[in-house]
Amino acid sequence: MTLAEESERIVRARAAAPVRRPAPRTGGVVRRVVSRYWTIAVLLVGWQLWASLNGYNRIVVPQPGEVVADVVGNSGAYLPDLLATLGMSAAGLLTGMAAGVALAVAVWTSPLVSGMTTPIALIMRSVPVVAMIPVLARVFGYGWQTVLVITTIVSFFPAFVFVAARLRDAPRSTSDVFAVLGASRVTVLRRLLLPHAVPGLLVAFRLTAPSAVLAAMLAEYLMGGRGLGVLFAQSVSFYQPERAWGTALVATVVSVACFVGARAVERRGLARMT
Amino acid sequence: MSQPAIALQSVVKEFPLRRGTAVRALDRFDLQIADGEFVAVLGPSGCGKSTVLRLVAGLDTPSEGTVTIEGARPADLVRGHRLGVAFQEHALLPWASARANVELPWKVAGRPVDTARVDELLELVGLTGFADARPRQLSGGMRQRVAIARALALTPDVLLLDEPFGALDAVTRRRMNLELARIWAEERITTLLVTHDVDEAVLLADRVVVMTGRPGRVRHTESIDFPRPRRTEVTRDPAFHEIVDRLTRLLDESDEPGHSDAAA
Ligand SMILES: Nc1ncnc2c1ncn2[C@@H]1O[C@H](COP(=O)(O)OP(=O)(O)OP(=O)(O)O)[C@@H](O)[C@H]1O
Ligand SMILES: [Mg+2]
Repeated sequence: MTLAEESERIVRARAAAPVRRPAPRTGGVVRRVVSRYWTIAVLLVGWQLWASLNGYNRIVVPQPGEVVADVVGNSGAYLPDLLATLGMSAAGLLTGMAAGVALAVAVWTSPLVSGMTTPIALIMRSVPVVAMIPVLARVFGYGWQTVLVITTIVSFFPAFVFVAARLRDAPRSTSDVFAVLGASRVTVLRRLLLPHAVPGLLVAFRLTAPSAVLAAMLAEYLMGGRGLGVLFAQSVSFYQPERAWGTALVATVVSVACFVGARAVERRGLARMT
Repeated sequence: MSQPAIALQSVVKEFPLRRGTAVRALDRFDLQIADGEFVAVLGPSGCGKSTVLRLVAGLDTPSEGTVTIEGARPADLVRGHRLGVAFQEHALLPWASARANVELPWKVAGRPVDTARVDELLELVGLTGFADARPRQLSGGMRQRVAIARALALTPDVLLLDEPFGALDAVTRRRMNLELARIWAEERITTLLVTHDVDEAVLLADRVVVMTGRPGRVRHTESIDFPRPRRTEVTRDPAFHEIVDRLTRLLDESDEPGHSDAAA
């Protein structure tokens, strides 16, 4: 079972990773920040040079200073949309992962459910989100409902796949212990399989959290309503390059923050569960 | 002996392989264990020792013959939560503390946890100070001790041990053997221990059964009469070494392919 092996491999590797490093001294902190994030500085400087050396019009490429100034100075213009996007992503993440876990349990419960759902799940997984958006928009309308549906779908598959794999590969000796203790199927699920599946869920969370935000923005961009995607689309059509680039900047920071945050959650969770 | 606690009667166990072939793990295997008796089954690797234990635990069913515990099927005992097991892998829940792991049998049985008994068990296996530690924070020997405490939790009628110290180094293993001897002297539960360590078998058991190579049958039975509780002095007794040597020789011969019956 390759998926089980894959999830097992990821979980092992993650569990082996150090959870916390000893607190470094201030000099160490500076050095660590520099050594980790120097690429960002390089990017900013490169951007600045690229814009000024080529003499681009600010409509084509605004300078980083102007963009940052817009984000910081007019944060009120970004905040409602940022919150809308984050809210949609979080809601979709929650419902999608809950649905993924629920279906994984259903598939574990009965081979019949497994036979019915697994092919559908596989078909839907191989269709890219971008291709799904127009179809879903027809069905659910051009509004927040569709954004929620899309973030839900994006969050659903990893949770389903990783949790289903973990439910199937509990260590044999532990399963034997439960069998000899006379455990019912429900007890096995509750006390052994679900806790055993938590690391799979954590891996799914790390993989999903950034893409849920991206999917939300993409859906907003294509369909309108509210959110960073809409802000971006509007500022492009109203020739507000600083706003458009600022939105992209905010989106990037949010995605990275989601990734880092999710990874931290995953590490802590794995340290607790394995 | 009235009714034996555990009885295997001419048990055959075959595992199907591909294309209709099957591997015969046990061939007309007979074994009776009396109430409160400690029996160790010795045999070369792959002779079917674990198969015997899994049959008694109700984890597998025999292809032919019968397995009964107290006159009933193993599944009946399992349903009454009256069986305890420990395997070579400790099989502890990694997310649960040592205490929570020992409490598992009560939770599985849907009974209120007997906290006093849990404390007593943790003390019995010498882990009182580690009740809140999780398995990854314990050493290999400590984990095995938690597993044994868990196996003893509901004061089972029958205790099944499949190389519980197989993964430990020789020194720790010997220490664990002595500890198990002490624990067993206090609890006196009908016990089936599967091992390929001759010293371990002789130190712990009332009776040692040596199996032939695959397909496994009983080759030789040896009664061990050292008084209990057995301490480390037993292992220095010349009689101990004589028995160990004899059983080791039998085991070596069992390991040679083609050998079938016993002279002893
Ligand atoms: N589930 C199974 N499917 C197929 N063959 C099996 C199965 N379980 C055991 N066997 C076979 O039965 C034989 C006996 O296995 P068993 O695990 O009982 O040996 P063992 O005496 O416990 O060996 P060891 O000392 O190495 O643990 C082996 O040849 C093994 O290949
Ligand atoms: Mg074995």
